[in-house]
Amino acid sequence: MSMKKNYVVETIRKAQMVQLLAEGKRMDERALDQLRPLTIETGVIQKANGSARVTLGNTQVIAGVKIATGIPFPDTPDKGILMVNAEILPMSSPYAEPGPPSEEAIELARVVDRGIRESEMVDLGKLGLVPGKTVIAVFVDCNIMNVDGNLFDATSYAVVSALRTAKMKKYVVKDDKAEATEEMVPVPVERTPVSVTLARIGDRLVVDPNTEEEASMDMRITITTDDDGNICASQKGEASTISPAQVLEAADTSIRVGKQIRAQIMESTK
Amino acid sequence: MPMIERKQVIPGDVIAKGNYRYGSYVEKRGDEFIALRVGLAEVGRDGVKLNPLTGSYLPRADDEVIGKVVDVNGFGWVVDINSCFDGFLPASFVFGREFSPSTHDLSSKFRVGDMIGARIESFERSRDPQLSIRGHGYGKIDSGEIVKISPTKVPRLIGRRGAMINLISEKTGCDVRVGQNGVVVVTGPPEGVAKTVKAVKMVEEEAHAADLMAKVEGFLGGSSSGGS
Repeated sequence: MSMKKNYVVETIRKAQMVQLLAEGKRMDERALDQLRPLTIETGVIQKANGSARVTLGNTQVIAGVKIATGIPFPDTPDKGILMVNAEILPMSSPYAEPGPPSEEAIELARVVDRGIRESEMVDLGKLGLVPGKTVIAVFVDCNIMNVDGNLFDATSYAVVSALRTAKMKKYVVKDDKAEATEEMVPVPVERTPVSVTLARIGDRLVVDPNTEEEASMDMRITITTDDDGNICASQKGEASTISPAQVLEAADTSIRVGKQIRAQIMESTK
Repeated sequence: MPMIERKQVIPGDVIAKGNYRYGSYVEKRGDEFIALRVGLAEVGRDGVKLNPLTGSYLPRADDEVIGKVVDVNGFGWVVDINSCFDGFLPASFVFGREFSPSTHDLSSKFRVGDMIGARIESFERSRDPQLSIRGHGYGKIDSGEIVKISPTKVPRLIGRRGAMINLISEKTGCDVRVGQNGVVVVTGPPEGVAKTVKAVKMVEEEAHAADLMAKVEGFLGGSSSGGS
C-alpha cells in the first residue's frame, strides 16, 4: 500500500545532531573530517580482469573490470574506451527497488565515472590499437551490496582499486589487425584519483555522511582530487546553495582527507 | 502438568500433542502443535506458548508502540512502527468525526519525522495496522534519545511487573518509555541518559542471562535515585 521512498530521520534526532555539530561532534563520535572504517580487498572476482570489494562503515560495494577490444568513438579514433557503470541492488536497502536504475543510481555512476575520467587515471592514449578501427575498451561495473550512505566515495574507491590491480592481455597489431597474446600486462594507470563527499547539516560540513546524516543534510558536495592535490571533478547535490567560502573549505578538506585515503588505496593495491 | 517445561524449538518442531490452547507463532495440525519461529516453547497453564528469540515486530491489537511519521496524506499519517507493516493513523482519530480533508491541516498536528506514542487499534493481516492516539500519554514525543532494540527482547527490558525498567529509571533518574515494537525513548539529565542507553543495550545483548537484574544493578552502581 505505502511505498517507501527514502529514509526519514527523526526530527528529535536531527535536532540532537545539529546541536552536537555546533560543538564539533557527531552522533557516532567521529570527528567532522573522519571517515568510517574503510577496508579494501582486491581480486575478489576470479574471472574479472580486476576487482575490488570496499566497505565504508556498513556501506559495501563490489567493482569488477572487464577488458575487451572495441570500436573507438569517431571523435577519438586513436584512444581507448573507459566506461563506469553502477547498479544499486534491490537487496542493498529497504528503499532500493528492482527495475530501471533510479535517478540516484545514474548520478552515482556518472559522478564516479567523471572523477576517474577527468583525473586521467587511465592513459587512454595507450589503449589505441588500430586507429579508427580497434581500441581496447575498459568496462567497470559496480554493484552496491549494502547502502549506509556515501555511495559516491565507496564506489569511487572500489573502481580505483579494481583498476589499479587489473591485468589485461597484451595486444599486438599485425597488418592492421589487433591480436591478443598470452602475456598479461597491467592497465596503464597514471594517477590515483580520490573522491571525498561532504554533507552540510546545520551550517557544518561533515565528511563521509552515513544514512542518517544524508537524510539530514541540505547540501552535499563531492570533490575528486589527484596525486598532486589538483581538483579534477566535483558535483554538488541537493536543493540548497553553497557559499564561496564553504566551497573553499570543502576543497581544502577533500585535498587533506584525500591524501590519507590515497595512501590506504595505494597500500591495498600494491 | 505441574512443572512448566521450556525447550528450544526451530520452525517445524512439534512442541506438544493433545488438546491445548495456543498463542502466536504456533500452528495446530491435527493434534500436533508446530513451532513457526526459532524460540523457547513452553506448555503450561496457558496452553502452548512460544517466545521467539529473533524476528521483527508483529503488530497486536492494544500494544503500545512508538513510531515515526514517514508520510502525511489527505486522510492520515503513515507511521513506521519498526515492523514489516506500516502503521496508519487516520486523521478522524485525531480530529474527531467532523474531520474533513479540506478544513483540517494534518501537518499542523504531526509532520514527517515526528515521533509519536500510539496504540494499535486493530490489525488483521489483510490490512495495515491502524493506530490510535486516544488515551493518556499518547501523541507526539517532543524530546528524548531514541534507542532501538529487538522487539523480542522487550519483555526482558520491562521485566517482571516492570521490575527491570523501574530499576533502570530509578538508578539513572531518567524516564524510560518502551514501545512493544522495540523503540525506546529515554528522557532526563544528559549523563543519566547516556547511562540508561548503555543499560538498555546491555539488557538487549545479555537477555539470555539468568542474573540479568543483578548485572544491570551492578552496572548502574549504587548511585541513588535522581542522580548521575
